[in-house]
Amino acid sequence: MLQDHLQDYVKKHGFSGYTELRAQQNRNHAVSMLNGSLVSNSSGVSRGVSARVVKGGAYGFASATGYGDDLEAIAQIVRAASDNAAFLDRHVQRGQPDFAPVQPFTRTDGLEHDVPVEQSYLLSVVDELDSYIAERFPKLLSRRVFARVLNMEKLLYTSDGVVSHSFVPRSNVYIFMTSQDTDGQPVELYKVLGGYGNFPEKFKNAEDFFEKIEKQYELLMQKAEGVYAKPGIQTVILDSDLAGILAHEAVGHTVEADFVQTGSVGGPMFGKQVASEKVSLVDIANTAFGNLAPVPVFVDDEGTPAQDQMLIENGILTGYMHNKESARKFGHEANGNARAFDFSDEPLIRMRNTCILPGTDKLEEMIASVEDGYFMTDMNNGQADSTGEFMFGVPMGYEIKNGKLGRAIKDTTVSGVAFEVLKTADMVSDTVTWTNSGMCGKKQMIPVGMGGPAIKVKINVGGRA
Amino acid sequence: MKKAFEVKDQAVLDTAELVLREIKAVGADEGETWVSRNVLTELYYELGKISMVRTVFSDKVSIKLLKNKRKGTVNLNSFDPTDVKQAVADAWQAAQSAAPDEAEGIAELQENASFSSGEKTPDLDLMYQQLTDLLADTRQDFPKISFDSIGVEHTYSERLYANTNGVRLSEEQGLYQLSNMFMAKDGDQTSSFNYFGTVYDDPSERVTESGRVKRVLDETQRQIVTEQIEGSFAGDLVITPGCLENILWYVADTYLQDSAMISGTSPWKEKLGEQVASPLVNLELVAEHPELPGTSKLSGDGYVAENMPLIEGGVLKNFSLSRYGAAKTGLKRSANSGSTIVFSNGQTRLEDLIGWVERGILLGRFSGGEPSPAGDLSGVAKNSFLIENGKVTKPLSEVMIAGNLGDMLRDTVAVSQERENSGYWLLPWIRVTNVTISGK
Repeated sequence: MLQDHLQDYVKKHGFSGYTELRAQQNRNHAVSMLNGSLVSNSSGVSRGVSARVVKGGAYGFASATGYGDDLEAIAQIVRAASDNAAFLDRHVQRGQPDFAPVQPFTRTDGLEHDVPVEQSYLLSVVDELDSYIAERFPKLLSRRVFARVLNMEKLLYTSDGVVSHSFVPRSNVYIFMTSQDTDGQPVELYKVLGGYGNFPEKFKNAEDFFEKIEKQYELLMQKAEGVYAKPGIQTVILDSDLAGILAHEAVGHTVEADFVQTGSVGGPMFGKQVASEKVSLVDIANTAFGNLAPVPVFVDDEGTPAQDQMLIENGILTGYMHNKESARKFGHEANGNARAFDFSDEPLIRMRNTCILPGTDKLEEMIASVEDGYFMTDMNNGQADSTGEFMFGVPMGYEIKNGKLGRAIKDTTVSGVAFEVLKTADMVSDTVTWTNSGMCGKKQMIPVGMGGPAIKVKINVGGRA
Repeated sequence: MKKAFEVKDQAVLDTAELVLREIKAVGADEGETWVSRNVLTELYYELGKISMVRTVFSDKVSIKLLKNKRKGTVNLNSFDPTDVKQAVADAWQAAQSAAPDEAEGIAELQENASFSSGEKTPDLDLMYQQLTDLLADTRQDFPKISFDSIGVEHTYSERLYANTNGVRLSEEQGLYQLSNMFMAKDGDQTSSFNYFGTVYDDPSERVTESGRVKRVLDETQRQIVTEQIEGSFAGDLVITPGCLENILWYVADTYLQDSAMISGTSPWKEKLGEQVASPLVNLELVAEHPELPGTSKLSGDGYVAENMPLIEGGVLKNFSLSRYGAAKTGLKRSANSGSTIVFSNGQTRLEDLIGWVERGILLGRFSGGEPSPAGDLSGVAKNSFLIENGKVTKPLSEVMIAGNLGDMLRDTVAVSQERENSGYWLLPWIRVTNVTISGK
């Protein structure tokens, strides 16, 4: 765990003007087996200190590796940040006042999860899962099992008197299986296990996951005999994984306040109907439905206490995600969306755990209501646009014919304009599940959670004619 | 520039030598390390203003050791000898639990060498001037363009590869880079995002003097009001250079690189020396090129990289395999496993290449799902125009394309004489037939 040398620095030097001072340590572990060969067996740490200083609205940032009791080293970083802010202030002369001060507070979150992770334990879990797959399914064309651990610890002091020390662990195992379709072409399916928590806590026994592996193989065999989806606008039930990425990619990015100011479609739609009244969407700070969300944030990297941010309420666009600067500009409240990935990164407006809230429909009834369409169950990536247009890769799904599931489909992509697609949502299931391995890219990568129920919509499918 | 081996920063050299001593001291058979010292200077524009100056000092150490072909790897960002010794001990512990792999190893003894390029110290005033010039030129010539963000960066690094076989290779590089994201706006209407990344070694050059930058800004400005197309058809794609880079990255990952080859999923795994693409396709990975300052002279596994053809006249000449990938597959290690790519220009003028298209799309950007192992891909045509009867007509939205990467290279029927250069790729426009295009 990080020792608190920042406290000593602050006691000795104090702050001159608006400053955020952060020590951070990201520890990671990676173990990968490809067809039984150990292709990766690594661990690492990224540790350092950063300072961000604001002068007249101009930001100066500096960081350096290493973190210890050398207070002069910390002072040099603060000076470098201050010099950068002064350089820019001289050029731009924006003359903005400092941010309104917040009430000082001190808190710690998640530090009890900071327990050692043994590389040998990751190796044993991956080896056991890989051996099980090799023994059970010897005809697979290939298999990959890999474990990833990312434990992020941050110690933040701000010139407002905010002190926050947090630890957020994430542990995932990815299982890829590849078989051949009826034409002899490779066909692949993957599953992600784990989520928030330390690796030994999330993966106590490898055999607990054997049942999921059996299910994954069964789905892969269905996909191997699958058909290409038909192209064009179709009635599609997007299962939770896809609804979650819809919430993140298609809507979430367009209502980040920096994007709004640049001209995203979220700007002119504020206060307007952007979805069916069955749709409500929220960016959850840390706790959802009585449990910790996949990426709990209690204090952001500007020192703002984190609160849930409602984005769409019963179909009406009601909120944006902010940092301190954009909140001041819009006259809204900042709710803790300013996040940085590494010690050397400045905070940006980021989502945390974006989730479509559950409805009242049963999934079986939703499937039964579709005469000719698709039930899409998995996603593998997604991108969104300033126009609200989005796309997701779909590696698994089924035809729906006359209210019943039919043949599996091959890899495809779905796309649409978020607010138009959400207006077609006429059924929303009553159960939310989370995707808890997501990394979002926006100058920096950052862990995010994505959640949702199943939703029934009209959407464009990138099938084959 | 290649020269006799030297490391300017003594801390880099001392740290590498400490790692190698510790690797031997713990009892490993062999090992290697990358050690680097880096400084990033960034000027950042967002939300309509130049908002931040950022300086990042970073030290990086990567350690790999082997005992009886069992591997342990540790990365850290500290040159502190105590941290380094602990990292080697951690790598040793990791290796104890690892399964042996006969393909594991380190680079063989070769001539030690150093390479250097670019400036060590950034000119922040010139960077500021370059950024303000870009904003002023864009405001004047492309007034509907709105930048979401622009980063003007200078990175300096000195990095050293050293291993227990006696290999010592170093590279000192100073490089400027400009990245951005923008859209065009008119009232409440916006175009799709677009971007142009570029690397260069002279910050005094005006960014908007580049034909590529002008084209991308101009095309985006004409994409504010888009149209949709009805139904599906098999048509042509004219793929722009920036989009082609994205497609070629997919090709490398699906057909040529370690993962696809080791897993055996590459559809080309048995195709070395065979025709896999149209005779018009000539692709090369480069380590040195007079027009591309973004090349790296060293491979990730401790060799001096060389220029290497991937596909010549449509014939697969080389895979892009690391030392490990080659050992696992029984193939030859590739002289280049990097990503700086050159596609030879063709014989067709761009105007004619588009002029031949009866119905298709000028594909500016592709937003798609990960290709399947068989090379199937589908996604949305972004920043794109419809081509009808040889003319670029209307900007499009909500149009999807679906095809197969291998088929697209086989169905490449024209390659433009003109090419564009980002500093890390040099690519033409290509025309591909028989791709599924679907609208609403």
